[in-house]
Amino acid sequence: MPTTAGIDMGIQTVKVVILKDGAVAARAKAASGFEPAKAAEQAFDEALKSAKIPKEQVTQILATGSGMDMAPNSNGNVSMMGADAKAGVYLFPTARTIVDVGAEEARAVKCDERGIMIDFVVNERCAAGAGTFIEAMARALEVKLEDMGPLSLKAERASPINASCVIFGESDVVSLIHRQESKPEIARAVFDAMADRVSSMVHRLGINLDVIVVGGVAKDIGFIESLKRKLGVNLLVPEYPEYVGALGAALTAAGRVKG
Amino acid sequence: MKSETAEKKYMPEMPKREIEELNSTVKSASAKIIADNIARMRKTDPNRPSGMQYFDEVSDFFGQRQKEIQEEKTKGKKVIGYFCVFAPVELILAADAIPVRVNSGWYDTSKLGDRIVPVEVCPVIRSTIGAKMIGLSPYLELSDAVITTLTCDGMTKLSEILSDAMPIWTMTPPRVKDSPQSLQLWKEEIKSIKTQIEKLTGNKITAKKLKEAIETMQKASKAFRRLQDLRKGNTVIMGRDAMLVNQTAMWDDIKRWTKKTEALCDELEKRIQQKLWACSPDTPRVIITGTPMFWPDNWKLPTLIEEATPQGVLVGDELCSSDRVLYDPVGIDEWTMDDMINGIAERYLMASTCPCFTSKDGNEDRINWLLNKVKEYKAQGVIYYVVRGCILYAMEYSRVKKALDKLNIPVYYLDTEYTREDVGQMKTRVEAFLEMLTARVDF
Amino acid sequence: MFEALAGTILAGIVAIGLALAGVLVILIWKKDRTRKLSYLRLFIQLVSLVGIFYSFTLALWLSVFFLVILGVTFFSGRFFCGWVCPFGFYMDLIALLRKKLGVRYRILPDRLNRALNKLRYVIAAVILAAPLFIGALTITPASQVQVLFLSGPFRPIAIMLSPLEPIVVPFTGAIANLGFIPWSLSYPYARDIMVYVNIPLVMEAIIYVFVALTLVGTFLFRRVWCRFCPTGISIAAANRFKNLKWMPLLHISKVEEKCTKCGICKRVCPVQVTEVYEQKGGDIKTSVCLNCMRCVEMCPYEGCLKMNVAGRTIFQSRNWLEPSNNE
Repeated sequence: MPTTAGIDMGIQTVKVVILKDGAVAARAKAASGFEPAKAAEQAFDEALKSAKIPKEQVTQILATGSGMDMAPNSNGNVSMMGADAKAGVYLFPTARTIVDVGAEEARAVKCDERGIMIDFVVNERCAAGAGTFIEAMARALEVKLEDMGPLSLKAERASPINASCVIFGESDVVSLIHRQESKPEIARAVFDAMADRVSSMVHRLGINLDVIVVGGVAKDIGFIESLKRKLGVNLLVPEYPEYVGALGAALTAAGRVKG
Repeated sequence: MKSETAEKKYMPEMPKREIEELNSTVKSASAKIIADNIARMRKTDPNRPSGMQYFDEVSDFFGQRQKEIQEEKTKGKKVIGYFCVFAPVELILAADAIPVRVNSGWYDTSKLGDRIVPVEVCPVIRSTIGAKMIGLSPYLELSDAVITTLTCDGMTKLSEILSDAMPIWTMTPPRVKDSPQSLQLWKEEIKSIKTQIEKLTGNKITAKKLKEAIETMQKASKAFRRLQDLRKGNTVIMGRDAMLVNQTAMWDDIKRWTKKTEALCDELEKRIQQKLWACSPDTPRVIITGTPMFWPDNWKLPTLIEEATPQGVLVGDELCSSDRVLYDPVGIDEWTMDDMINGIAERYLMASTCPCFTSKDGNEDRINWLLNKVKEYKAQGVIYYVVRGCILYAMEYSRVKKALDKLNIPVYYLDTEYTREDVGQMKTRVEAFLEMLTARVDF
Repeated sequence: MFEALAGTILAGIVAIGLALAGVLVILIWKKDRTRKLSYLRLFIQLVSLVGIFYSFTLALWLSVFFLVILGVTFFSGRFFCGWVCPFGFYMDLIALLRKKLGVRYRILPDRLNRALNKLRYVIAAVILAAPLFIGALTITPASQVQVLFLSGPFRPIAIMLSPLEPIVVPFTGAIANLGFIPWSLSYPYARDIMVYVNIPLVMEAIIYVFVALTLVGTFLFRRVWCRFCPTGISIAAANRFKNLKWMPLLHISKVEEKCTKCGICKRVCPVQVTEVYEQKGGDIKTSVCLNCMRCVEMCPYEGCLKMNVAGRTIFQSRNWLEPSNNE
């Protein structure tokens, strides 16, 4: 089996996965900043070092993510949806619906047992269904981003927040605190609002079990719990959800080398 | 004729200098876009049929055709514009007038329209208003009167807004096709438009002239259908090229257009024999359906499809600005005036697949046409294109999706605006869709 | 002598006519010129007229004719009405005259048309029952029995065959004799009126009024008589019952997906059948349809309307704007 690599040129972070002998040999990431191509090179070198593989051994590199055209030395592109589907089935053979919630965009993909896309839907209109929302609200609550999840789990109910827009959401927080709403309840409201948007997007697509959640936001336990409640099904989450795009690209590259 | 000194109901007073500045800016931008689009079409298919040369020239709004129409006007001919494909073009031709479709396809003018109507309104409407404000559209400016059909809310109010600037003749289509009174109403509308055309031009529409006009349009339909039929097999002409030919029918001299299209079809048939394909036969075949897209700016989606990686090809569409324009001929049994008016009325009402109609069977006319198209052109995927603010098309999406799901054809809902800013986002969606189609074929 | 000569000529005309018709059918089928179908139909109607006239000279028993017609409609619906019936032929000729003069036709309101269609059954019932009542007044019991078997002086079967009456009949005694040869002018239903109405002047008046009404009616409304013709009740109407759904074998069939509701089929139908337009695909089974195929001829969408015989498509609507050779 050939050694391949996948580069996910995300808006905030570039992620790289190296695949060797059908298994993940290394993962690395770097902040995109203003020079995503450089960040990609950096992450790639880091991954090579960690896997102890020389550059020449990598036969195919495919790029994905919104910045895929800027990836250095890639052999081609694969769409984020396609990558998600491939990686989803690789990680969980029973996965048929993949929900990918990133920093700025959420999408859902339906696939068959081979990881081939059947249908997809994108939530492009609204940042309140993506990771930026959590960041903005964490700032407003003066809570660390990684604490938002555990904080929300402490709440029994969600505060009523104006979830129509991130901008309004932020200013809402101040008035909510004045009204003696507790931080856990506000945090839970944040995740509920996000889960609302994401679940209506998933419903437009239709759910085929099993459903897996990937992307950076999948690491957040608060979001997963809210989404579980809204969708009413059990959700599978892989160990390194933010690398799923890059993994999918690497898997697709392996498939293309063979065929 | 509307008096220039009557108080304007909607249009603002704009200083002459501003109008001139905006006009020249948008005009030069538009000229660049037209040239750019054509250059890109040439790049996608380096072996583009030579018959397309003529259509490239006609596609220039500010070029030869505009001058021609101006000359005809000085000789006394009238120009009658129209918005929707409900307007009876045969009647206009029979009165020796020049028909032109005046929908606006400029992105930049939609921002001007924002000054008068809110941004939630259909961008085609806003763009048309903006074009009128700065006198950008040569055909709209040259029109002595414009026929608007009150199909959707946007059109209904646009008629009022534009009547500030020029004579607007409204036609009211019934929203239900099937009841006996609908055809009756529509026939009366056709008859009243006939009277108005005769009054404006000063020419009586005789049975002889009407017969000639109908036959001219039938010949145009023949050429039109011939071109579409040639897209059923392996791709011999790229979708954008065919779309351009379709669009130019709406403002070009129809007899000349017919001749040039027949010549193009001859060339394409030769290419089919030589197996000279415009793109590889396993390129995913896509059909677009939804709100009409107008030259020059709104070429966004077809361009994305045909320049994407993996490349897709547009084999047909269900758009009233393209593959629907001349598809239905007027069928006449006996060439009496009454029969011809009946024929025209029925063709323009009954054959329409516009979602402005409602019925128990859910606008089956459109679904059947689309399904037939998908099957005959062996389309692998359908992109359902809607502009934000177009309620009618947006609401029919579920109907279309259910029907296509039964055929196992993927449909993708793509909504956008009259803007260049979302090209990046649209590109990822379109490429993912094309990738999906390729994967389905490979396995 | 005259009769024998006339007989041979007529037989010859019929034979040649049928042969030509066969050639035309093949030409239309092979060269796909569905649009020329109307010419073929007029030609076949003309040949049929000559053939029927010929059969009158042989003085065949008319009941056989009746059975033949009924039998044919069993399998072919009202194909006879559209392609063979002489009365229909006269109406089509008048339509040609009207077209030449540039006069437009009128249409009956839809409801009236449908009511007239139902009237057929009433008219047929009255015609078949009338002899029983009139007979009771004037003829012997033996004749009454004859009437029950649909024969005898009041000709109940013959009246059902009256649309077949040629304009010129090979015997004297109809409307007006043609002095120099033993033939006379006639008209459908004329001789039946003569049988039922015996008062001299009244009888003639009624005949002329009937002729005038039907001629003017056809001039205005195209095939006006066919809408309530009792002969056209046709056994094809019976296929509304479940077990008889398989007949007749000749149908116009519609492919719903290709239909764009342009309405041409509705407008060109000489008897104003709207089922072709309204039905959602499948076989058109209304017994008003004459199978004249005018709708199939004029439908501009390839393969939307078809003429099917026993499920097989004989010909179908063409894109009469003629697409390219390369399909």
